[in-house]
Amino acid sequence: MQETLKRLEQDAMSALEKADSLERTREIEGEYLGRSGHITMILRGMKDLSDEEKRVIGPLCNTTRKTLEDSFAKKIKEFEDEQLAKELSKEFFDTTIPSSTRPLGHIHPLSQLQEEVERIFSQMGFTVADGPEIESEHYNFESLNIPKDHPARDMQDTFFIQEKDDADHGRMVLRTQTSPVQIRAMEKYGAPLRLIVPGRVFRFEATDASHDSMFYQVEGLLIDKDISLAHLKGVLAEFLTRLFGKPVKVRFRPGYFPFVEPGLEVDFSCLLCEGKGCRVCKHSGWIEFMGAGMVHENVLKAGGIDSKEYQGWAFGFGLTRLVMMRYGIDDIRLLTNGDLRFNKQF
Amino acid sequence: MLVSLNWLKDFVELPKDADGKTLGNLLTLKTAEVDHVIDESADYENIIVGQIIEITAHPNADKLKVTKTSIGKETLQIVCGGENIKEGMYVAVACLGAKVKWHGEGEPVVMEKAVIRGVESYGMICASIEIGLNNPDEGTHDILDLSALKPETGTPIKDVLHKDDIILEFDNKSLTHRPDLWGHMGIAREVAAITNSKFKPIKVSVKIPETGESVDVKVKDFHLCPRYCGLIINNIKIGKSPDWLAARLKTTGHGIHNNIVDVTNYVMMELGQPLHAFDKTLIQNGIVVRTAKKNEKIRTLDGKEYNLDENMLVIADSKKPVAVAGIIGGEHSGINENTTAIILESANFNHSSVRKTSTKLGVRTDSVQRFEKGLDPLLAETAILRATELILQICPEAKIAGPITDIQKFNKKPLKITLDLEKAKSKIGADLSVQEMKKILESLEFKVTAKGKKTKIFIVEVPTFRATKDVLSEDDLIEEIARIYGYDNIEPTLPSLPAKLPLQNNERTKKHRARELFSYGFGFDEVYNYSFYGLNEIKKTLLVEAQHLKLQNYLSEEQTNMVTSLTPNILKNLQENVKNFSEIRIYEIGHTYLEIGQYFPLEEKKICGAILIKGKSDKIFYEAKGCVEAFIQKFNLSHVAEAKGAKNTPYAHPIKSLTFIDHSGKSLATCFMLHPTVQKNYDLEKYSIALFEINFTEALKLEEIKKSYKRIPKFPNISFDISVAVDKNVEIETLKSTIKNAEKDLISDIKLFDIYEGDKIESDKKAVAFSITIQSEDRTLTDAEMAEAQSKIFTALENLGGKIRGKNY
Repeated sequence: MQETLKRLEQDAMSALEKADSLERTREIEGEYLGRSGHITMILRGMKDLSDEEKRVIGPLCNTTRKTLEDSFAKKIKEFEDEQLAKELSKEFFDTTIPSSTRPLGHIHPLSQLQEEVERIFSQMGFTVADGPEIESEHYNFESLNIPKDHPARDMQDTFFIQEKDDADHGRMVLRTQTSPVQIRAMEKYGAPLRLIVPGRVFRFEATDASHDSMFYQVEGLLIDKDISLAHLKGVLAEFLTRLFGKPVKVRFRPGYFPFVEPGLEVDFSCLLCEGKGCRVCKHSGWIEFMGAGMVHENVLKAGGIDSKEYQGWAFGFGLTRLVMMRYGIDDIRLLTNGDLRFNKQF
Repeated sequence: MLVSLNWLKDFVELPKDADGKTLGNLLTLKTAEVDHVIDESADYENIIVGQIIEITAHPNADKLKVTKTSIGKETLQIVCGGENIKEGMYVAVACLGAKVKWHGEGEPVVMEKAVIRGVESYGMICASIEIGLNNPDEGTHDILDLSALKPETGTPIKDVLHKDDIILEFDNKSLTHRPDLWGHMGIAREVAAITNSKFKPIKVSVKIPETGESVDVKVKDFHLCPRYCGLIINNIKIGKSPDWLAARLKTTGHGIHNNIVDVTNYVMMELGQPLHAFDKTLIQNGIVVRTAKKNEKIRTLDGKEYNLDENMLVIADSKKPVAVAGIIGGEHSGINENTTAIILESANFNHSSVRKTSTKLGVRTDSVQRFEKGLDPLLAETAILRATELILQICPEAKIAGPITDIQKFNKKPLKITLDLEKAKSKIGADLSVQEMKKILESLEFKVTAKGKKTKIFIVEVPTFRATKDVLSEDDLIEEIARIYGYDNIEPTLPSLPAKLPLQNNERTKKHRARELFSYGFGFDEVYNYSFYGLNEIKKTLLVEAQHLKLQNYLSEEQTNMVTSLTPNILKNLQENVKNFSEIRIYEIGHTYLEIGQYFPLEEKKICGAILIKGKSDKIFYEAKGCVEAFIQKFNLSHVAEAKGAKNTPYAHPIKSLTFIDHSGKSLATCFMLHPTVQKNYDLEKYSIALFEINFTEALKLEEIKKSYKRIPKFPNISFDISVAVDKNVEIETLKSTIKNAEKDLISDIKLFDIYEGDKIESDKKAVAFSITIQSEDRTLTDAEMAEAQSKIFTALENLGGKIRGKNY
């Protein structure tokens, strides 16, 4: 009996080895393990054996069956996999059909850059401050050391609101700069102070490809003890280096803005030519970028800060201009005319 | 302003080969921005003096000749068409490599060896216009004849014609605060300081007689005119200015008029003090400096007539104004070819008054540009002496009639400022020595009193030419030190500041998160619009004009009012974009400004979104509603309820609109279909448009819901669907609450999944299908419990007049 079993197992295995198709494998499986297969028959005949024989033959019989079952299953799986692979390879499927999820919308490039700027300065401990876009002449000019007949009032042609005049506030204007928030913040928080103000400003001037009556600025202010121009240079270089992702140098030139003294024009090293001179930087190696300086004592006074104890600097740059530089946008009006063929590019 | 390097050399000892580019750059870094440095000689490279030795006929062209022209070391064969050429004539030869303009037209071209009608030519004999000169005496077919100058052959033309200057073009804006830099002497003083060179201030030697005829001057207002110097010069002969003077004026961008006017301009360019000359015979009984009378008029040198007012300062004679003080002279009293005697005026006028008058009249002149900066009254005297000296030099026969009339009233006390040196170093951020700071200030003619090398204080006397407006405080002195020390020498340093967290700006952060929600969550594109719109937009959106702030000055009729709502501009965006897109989702985050009867308007931040699709469908209303709901959910806004309609939103559809309110009933957000009238006004009738508006400022005032964990049910739930036919006008919310109330304890969720209206149902009915989930927290529900719940719901819906679909009645 034992030998029969062994022989059957060997026969089955060699038949299986020769099997060249799924059908043939199933046939052989039937011959041995089917309802009337050789192994099945033996198992079925077990009941006629003596207890002694059952004890020996039983486990052997089961082992043989298990071995054969596993071998057949394995072989069948091989054939099935092969066949499936063959079938799948014949299928046509077009992966180039456009995706069916609703496409992502687009955040305006000004918003994107503004957030980047805010994040960098926040990490340096600067508060992001806000202020009204409609301002009084007091906040927009007088408190910033720009009295009525000051030439700087020409430099910033101003929109005025009708029928808004007040002894304390003066006329009502659309803010020409984000600087009024300096005063508002000084009044509210006092010194020390570290903040930036990104925001919308207005100028009453004709619109063309590089000028718009409305654009975005970022104001920065740092007031503390012993704050110097060297710190201004350090902070601006740090900011620009992070923003552009490569080392940027900062250059100061004398400049004139009534609310700072000393007043500065700030340039940064041209990123395209790295200071060698190219078309973008007009062959100077530097890009004109912002106005800055040490906050004028009259401005500190207007904000209620003791200029004997505290000093600091302020800067202001055009976020709109930075966006235009970053993406090579040659017409400022594209930023505000709502043409989605533009907005969808960012 | 254009500054000539040669002219500067009158006042500063510069090395002979001083490089214009380096100087321009240095000035930009330390003084004021030099926009361009123009090297006059650059255009004359490889153009040299030649002498025509021999002229022969051209074998193939009647109008051309072949010359042998000597250029010193060698003799060239040059083909030339000039009609005036002669043997022995000195000419300008453009050698190979020179840049010339053919016949004075087009872009310059580089000279190359050429074969002209079969004859080789090694250069060109130039006409004036071909090398950028203007010589009116030269005929159209003539070439430039240099014979009169008797030059040596081979000499560069730039030397012969004195085209050896370098012009520095300053950006006027960067000189706004510097009254002292509007003439060559002032710039030279700076150049001396920044290059460590010797400054040579002007020395005037002219003898003014002690007796004789003087101008009678009355100054009525010393605030507006702190000083007036006048001088009579007789025996004047009006004529052309000498070449050297004309050349300097031309180089610095001035027109040439006559010797007297040219001298006044010359002195202005030299010292920065504007002067004026009157024809003495046209001035009646002396000069009165006074404000204009009501309705007074003047016709000025620009040929225009101006109406003056009582705030404007004029120079008048006994009868009428003869000049607008510091701005422009009168036409009637001006220098003319018959002038033989002049009154020379050198005065000081109040900067602010000059500026105001200039702005009011709309006249800007070189004179205004200087006076408005606040000139030094002492300069008036130097200038009148210098002008007199020049006039005598140019018109030797001229005679000074008598002493200078000098009417003045101004503060002569020198301005002294205490400078705290520690403060200066702390603000600059550089460790300057006492000596260094002293040297810098002195190089700019500040007088420094310092006690010893270790002093912490300077007493600084400001030179008069800086003390009018420019340098008034300690910080102004610190600026002088910083810029001359060199901003480039300041090392970038990061401040050591406490690691204190910045104040949170919740609103800003949430604005960025809201953008992500709408753009990346719902596929909306963000737009930016102007803060204004026009009456037309107000009318089209049915808004009320009176609630708007109106601009006093505006750029176009489309930008007259400040926006009270973002919607009108968003609708305009839709109107523009339907040309290119058939489906649009956009939003804007911006400010609105509402007149509320106080000084400052109510300025709020809003979010406005719009969805536009082709054809007629209300389904986008629910998308807009979803946007608001998502916003509320995203920012965990608590106690928000819904109310029908949209108040104060005239452009919203009266029925298809919904408001989200807070616990006090204040509106936080609305969503709506666009009002059909407005839709028509914007020519968008072919589309369906849904909008939402969120009052961002108000919404963020709401308390945030505090989230806490709820246990996930242990026992399985059971879901079943029901479909009920009801009258069309029964609202879904009514059905849902009816269902919920029928089995309050067990129902955990009710989902609407279909609304059907059509031929398979009575025309006044709709079939509504819900998927209902029941759930118990403490047991597995049985089939019997489900059947019971179902039957309760059926009954409740039937009581509402509904018929359960699939149930036999």
